[in-house]
Amino acid sequence: MKSNKVKRIFVLLQCLFFLIASHSSLAHHVLGRPSYSLNEDSNTPPSMAIETQIGDYFVTYMIFPAFPKPSEPGRVNLYVTRIDDGSILSVPVSFYVLDDKLFSGWPLLGDPVVPEKIGVQNVDDGIFRQGFVFKERGSYIIRAYFEVGDEPYEIDFPLQVGKAPAVGPIGFLLGLLILLLVSVNLVQRKRIARSKFQKEKNST
Amino acid sequence: MTMTHPGLPLFWVVIIVTAMLAIIIWALMTKAPVSYEKKELSLTKVPFIGGVFRYLSVQTLPLLILKVLVAFVFIVIVTAGLWGTPIVERNIATSITWNLWWAGIVVAILFSGSAWCAICPWDNIATCLVEHRLWRRSNSHTRLHLKVPVILRSVWPASLLFIGFTWLELGVGIVSSPYATAVLAVLMVVLATTCLALYEGKAFCRYMCPVGRTVGAYSQLSPVALRPIDLDVCRSCTSLECYHGSDLIAPCPTKLVMGRLQENTYCTACGNCSQSCPSKNIAWQLRSPSYEVMVSARPHTDEACFMLILFSLTVFHGFTMLDSWPDMMSAMARSFGDSGKLLISFSVGLVACIMVPSLIYGFFVLLSKKISVDATRTNYSHFFSGFSFSVLPLAFSYHMAHNFGHFFRERNNWSELITNPLGVGAQPLSMAEKHARHMDMMIPESVLFSLQGVFMLAGFFIAVQVVRYRGGRLFSMAGKKLLPMLTFVLLVTLFNVWMLVQPMTMRM
Repeated sequence: MKSNKVKRIFVLLQCLFFLIASHSSLAHHVLGRPSYSLNEDSNTPPSMAIETQIGDYFVTYMIFPAFPKPSEPGRVNLYVTRIDDGSILSVPVSFYVLDDKLFSGWPLLGDPVVPEKIGVQNVDDGIFRQGFVFKERGSYIIRAYFEVGDEPYEIDFPLQVGKAPAVGPIGFLLGLLILLLVSVNLVQRKRIARSKFQKEKNST
Repeated sequence: MTMTHPGLPLFWVVIIVTAMLAIIIWALMTKAPVSYEKKELSLTKVPFIGGVFRYLSVQTLPLLILKVLVAFVFIVIVTAGLWGTPIVERNIATSITWNLWWAGIVVAILFSGSAWCAICPWDNIATCLVEHRLWRRSNSHTRLHLKVPVILRSVWPASLLFIGFTWLELGVGIVSSPYATAVLAVLMVVLATTCLALYEGKAFCRYMCPVGRTVGAYSQLSPVALRPIDLDVCRSCTSLECYHGSDLIAPCPTKLVMGRLQENTYCTACGNCSQSCPSKNIAWQLRSPSYEVMVSARPHTDEACFMLILFSLTVFHGFTMLDSWPDMMSAMARSFGDSGKLLISFSVGLVACIMVPSLIYGFFVLLSKKISVDATRTNYSHFFSGFSFSVLPLAFSYHMAHNFGHFFRERNNWSELITNPLGVGAQPLSMAEKHARHMDMMIPESVLFSLQGVFMLAGFFIAVQVVRYRGGRLFSMAGKKLLPMLTFVLLVTLFNVWMLVQPMTMRM
């Protein structure tokens, strides 16, 4: 009786061990493929998806990988379907890239925005695929452009390559703050010194 | 796929509209109210909890702890915004700022009046930087104590900043960028610090802060406020510590005298008055939530315009979350040749949504003036500012009903956000997760609809009462003479109810 109980506990422990071990292997492999072999062309890479509507069309945009890095290839997948009947857009789509800097395109404040064409894609299995490689980190805008009839469609999507700059506007604001506090402090000390001097002058 | 919240069911619409019509008929049939009995109760006199409120009124420590806590959360938000993941739902900066604070602050006003201003991190961090302390009188050399320029001495700066906030939130879409959220947070601290370093008192809080002015306007409807326990004590006071401060405690930052305070608009609940009062005569008070807007608040043109802008922007927020809004934007963009983020079309829509309700209000005020007995003696601007308090309960009730939808339906995974505030290694929400969050409400849907219905009705009733009391007291109007303003209140509420009935786009 006692040895049976020990046996049962041993079997349970064995099951538990295999369950835990298989769980960790699942985390390492995605659908049987090692995670380190995933790239922008894999069928299940991590992605960032954005959905929107424009005119008569419903647009879904996916970036592979979710957080592209400089000098690493990535891909944009664009799905465009009509809102009314769900039919897939069949005209070619041009892809452009623009810098998305603070104040870019603003009159007087920023540089003019000049779009750079990165390719023209035809629909393939319901998807417009556009590859990209960015050499520098930064904030970009990917613009998809197509025309249906006489109507031009221009869809802008944000794309962050590498980490967003941590300084920039924040550094500017903090610098401004320090400058302000130091200036006010100096002016106030001067005012106090002047009033003390005036008082002493008046008393004598 | 865009996910939407279901709108208010028809059952509730029937109840609200029937009750509204009954209230309108009652208002038209009754005579002008002669007086209003003010009901108030100092929370220090309530059994069991009175001692707690007495302690809170005179001790600085609890408030100081809260200030430090909120400032700490603010610093976490800025850190997460700058260095955290750009995935909106996985970053604590966007989740706390837009899902919890922005939606919850209006609900908080109902229960705590203007108490948020006392713990506001923008002002507290600015105070720390400029005065080098958080509550006591300071002799810091980092303040110039200049007089606020006359051009800034109104709530117009706050109104413009509020419009700017809405433009950034809904037009530029900073709600979907943790980085932009952090930049905005730091920008507000810079503005508060600049005003504190240059001007006397707290000019930023009083004239410029869009959140503070919104809290101030809505807190006129709050059932709690800081007020004198015994008005006779204030009447016999000659030293006015609440205004001038004491040796240790700083003066009132917005220059209010407690004994003469008629409206809550500019009270930041900082507690300087309650801590400096030698008679310990200032404490939190329970009061009638409608007395101020009906009777005691004095009308000013800039505040009237702020209330109208607040009302318009509240409606605009709801309007942009309707299914038809993107189509309207697209149609407008086509006619302008606007592309990209459609900012021109959005800006035109924003201006139109501010102008249209204001012009409609102006038209009904003009009708009221035409039929009033005082038509020749009283200016149009008196009518305009006098009746403007009627839009406040309408804005507040719709704001609450709308925000309840966001607050109770759009759940964040707070345990995950607290343990990983920067969202390190997090992946975007899958559609399954989005659906799960959508379905997992904090309260039953029927309770949410009941709350929305009750708030819409309460807002309508208070607005009608404001029209009756203000019409009677300021312009000797009653019964049928109030028809134009009552029609305005009815139309606005019907429009707000219609918006609540529509499915609302989820923010996540």
